[in-house]
Amino acid sequence: MNSPVRAGNTAHGPERSRFSRMASDPKIRGLVAQAIVGTLIVLAGYYLVSQTIYNMEKRGLTTGFDFLSSTAGFSIGFHLIDYQPTDTFGRVFLVGVVNTLFVSVIAIIFATLFGFIMGIARLSHNWLIARLAASYVEIVRNTPLLLQIFVWYLGVFTLLPPPKQAFELVFGVFVLNNRGFYATAAVPGELFWITGIAIIAGLALTFMFRRAARAQREATGDAPSYAWKALAVLVAAPAAVFVLTGAPLTWEVPTLKGFNYQGGWAVPPPFLALLIALTVYTSAFIAEIVRAGIQSVGKGQTEAALSLGLPRSRTLKLVVIPQAMRAIIPPLISQYLNIVKNSSLAVAIAYPDLVGLWMQTSLNQAGRAIEIVATTMLFYMVVSLSISGLLNIYNRRVQLQER
Amino acid sequence: MSDTHSETDMAKAGVTRDAEPFNPKPARLPPGLSVGPLAWMKQNLFATWLDTIITIICAVIIFMLVRHLVTWGILDSVWDAANRRECMNKSPEGACWAGPRLWFHQFIYGLYNVDERWRVNLGFFVLVAWMVPLFLSRVTVKLPTAAGLVLTYPLFTSYLFYGGEKGIFWTIVSALGIACFIWAMINLLLELFAGKPLGKLLEQKFGMISLKSRMLLLLALWAAVSIVWSGVELEVVRTVRWGGLFVTMVVAGIGITFALPAGIVLALGRRSKLPLIRIVCVVFIEVFRSVPLITVLFMATTMVPLFLPEGVTFDKLLRAIIAVCLFAAAYMAEVVRGGLQSIPRGQYEAAAAMGLGYWRTTGLIIMPQALKLMIPNILSNFIGLFKDTTLVAIIGLFDLLGMVQAMSEATDWIGLVDEPYLFAALVYFIGCFAMSRYARHLENKLSTEHR
Repeated sequence: MNSPVRAGNTAHGPERSRFSRMASDPKIRGLVAQAIVGTLIVLAGYYLVSQTIYNMEKRGLTTGFDFLSSTAGFSIGFHLIDYQPTDTFGRVFLVGVVNTLFVSVIAIIFATLFGFIMGIARLSHNWLIARLAASYVEIVRNTPLLLQIFVWYLGVFTLLPPPKQAFELVFGVFVLNNRGFYATAAVPGELFWITGIAIIAGLALTFMFRRAARAQREATGDAPSYAWKALAVLVAAPAAVFVLTGAPLTWEVPTLKGFNYQGGWAVPPPFLALLIALTVYTSAFIAEIVRAGIQSVGKGQTEAALSLGLPRSRTLKLVVIPQAMRAIIPPLISQYLNIVKNSSLAVAIAYPDLVGLWMQTSLNQAGRAIEIVATTMLFYMVVSLSISGLLNIYNRRVQLQER
Repeated sequence: MSDTHSETDMAKAGVTRDAEPFNPKPARLPPGLSVGPLAWMKQNLFATWLDTIITIICAVIIFMLVRHLVTWGILDSVWDAANRRECMNKSPEGACWAGPRLWFHQFIYGLYNVDERWRVNLGFFVLVAWMVPLFLSRVTVKLPTAAGLVLTYPLFTSYLFYGGEKGIFWTIVSALGIACFIWAMINLLLELFAGKPLGKLLEQKFGMISLKSRMLLLLALWAAVSIVWSGVELEVVRTVRWGGLFVTMVVAGIGITFALPAGIVLALGRRSKLPLIRIVCVVFIEVFRSVPLITVLFMATTMVPLFLPEGVTFDKLLRAIIAVCLFAAAYMAEVVRGGLQSIPRGQYEAAAAMGLGYWRTTGLIIMPQALKLMIPNILSNFIGLFKDTTLVAIIGLFDLLGMVQAMSEATDWIGLVDEPYLFAALVYFIGCFAMSRYARHLENKLSTEHR
């Protein structure tokens, strides 16, 4: 029965208006939704921009990045690159970036070491050690980082003795007092670059040895040891070059002059407090990541390796750790990112990091809130996007190996 | 063991059936040191020489630490003193708990007017009472209670805590919170003592009761509460006086309440097929996740005043709360996205095959399953948020940490660091540890249900 009347009654027939058909078309609905969202965003953006311009004109504020080349005029307590109060705001930004990266990188190294130790200790068959590590992780993870920073700073590093009664560690190579931590510095002489080249050449040679050894192992099954050769090019050769060029390295020992120690490398107490707090806090998270990673490797893997006759140490090295690393590395890298972000808490104890120098001091001196907030956020976004980019590359490589 | 089996066994052993009846020898003792506490110690503490040395070193360190803590914190401590000097005179080597004791109320309420502190307590007790039905397995009506709590509790408490002249609008809005609370309490009592929720009881009495008439009942309650409530006026307590644990709870509470719905919206937006919506959500999430919270807080304090029209000012607390909400929403969005990704494609396809559209697929099929999977992650996100609220101390608010900082800088107690910070650490630890244990408990509970 194909009468025209019947056809008119179906859902798609002409009885439904054109409008209702359009309203139920997902494509058109999507376009409408996007148009609404787009309009709202444009309106909100227009409102914000015009309101901000109006407010700034009313308060006599100016915009633009010209302030970057004007003189900053304040001094900075701790800087790794040269800085004088007569330098520009642009230089202040650089000092802040370098200080942030400096404390972050050192904290990353220590937190990784300490976190791995704690994570493995949590799996120890020694009950006391496992319990101690577990309590450490729980206590540290469940208290705020800012509180820990304050405790290290106010409760430890400002209570250290003054310079005259400073702790001299390892026969005065290191000095610790309430003005900071001082380490004997190595000052390279004129010909030191030759030793530097020798070290780089040694690294390159070692890398080549390793590749050759691996190629041989894959071809023949023998695993030749290249430890002695590596030791020769990595340690003996640079040492010989160093002595032959007349040992171009002098030591600068921190000594008490007047009211404080001078000479050597020095870092202030806020740096130490921040470094230790970041290390302790993050190491607890890394410990959990390491524990979970090791536990994620099935017990059958260990048993299979042992039944093949591999000794315990090689079972760990060749079977368990490579598989555990696949589960460990992605969250580990996001912890590194957290260290960079958390280092911004430095502002609370006046370590001159990017946020303290730029968002606080410079913003108070130069105004320009929008430019300063934007550049600060941009810096953190660049860091985090590049780290997560690296993470994505790693994940892709691991996935390729898997399938 | 079957008979035939034992016969062959005996035959193998050269034992005939005519031999004497089998008398088992008494069981031998286990080899030395394989059971009992001593054996446990041998296995877990002194397995090897290295283990023994490490165990002894650790035990000595723990002993010294505990002895120091006990003498410092308990035996030599001072509980009664007016200032730090007095503490030092009484016991120079002991803890000075007198400081945190005298400042205890400031740690909890900040500078909240002393006569008005009952309002904070009332708000807290209402919250606890409202949460009771959510944790009791005997209570069947949970979703409406939870929704009422999340949506109307902030309305009621924002007036309760701030006070002032409320006008008709705020009278009605805040009365809704009270009405919902009363409703939830009636329900709780009925379920506990009559075994049935209000709706079921009414149904028994008057036959079928529609949702509409239940709503009418709630409306009547709301109207009655509004009338009574309009006669009550509370003194204004400005937010600069708010402080201590109270502010920590307010910031964390609002952040948590806002973060979950906003995070769900953002996560759905990020997975949307519409490019513009996806881009907006991705940019929002990635920007806020890649910058530290402190920069967002600074942005809120320095830039928000530039965005506002003349005459409108946001106080510092509100600005901090906005910053925390934006930040928390971005993090929650990623948690929700993780949950959504763990739902297999088959679920979407099955829903589509049933003829469900996008909203019903999401609301009825995907979200309920995803949220269940997400609960542990959501809770651990809440723990992070609770810890992160301490950052508001940097921009000059007096939350618990800010109050502790203020005490160790106050003239009477200057330099007293360990005791107040230890107190604060304990408070944060208890909160976070309890939440993390609860998350683990839920994880176990939910995972067994899946098996």
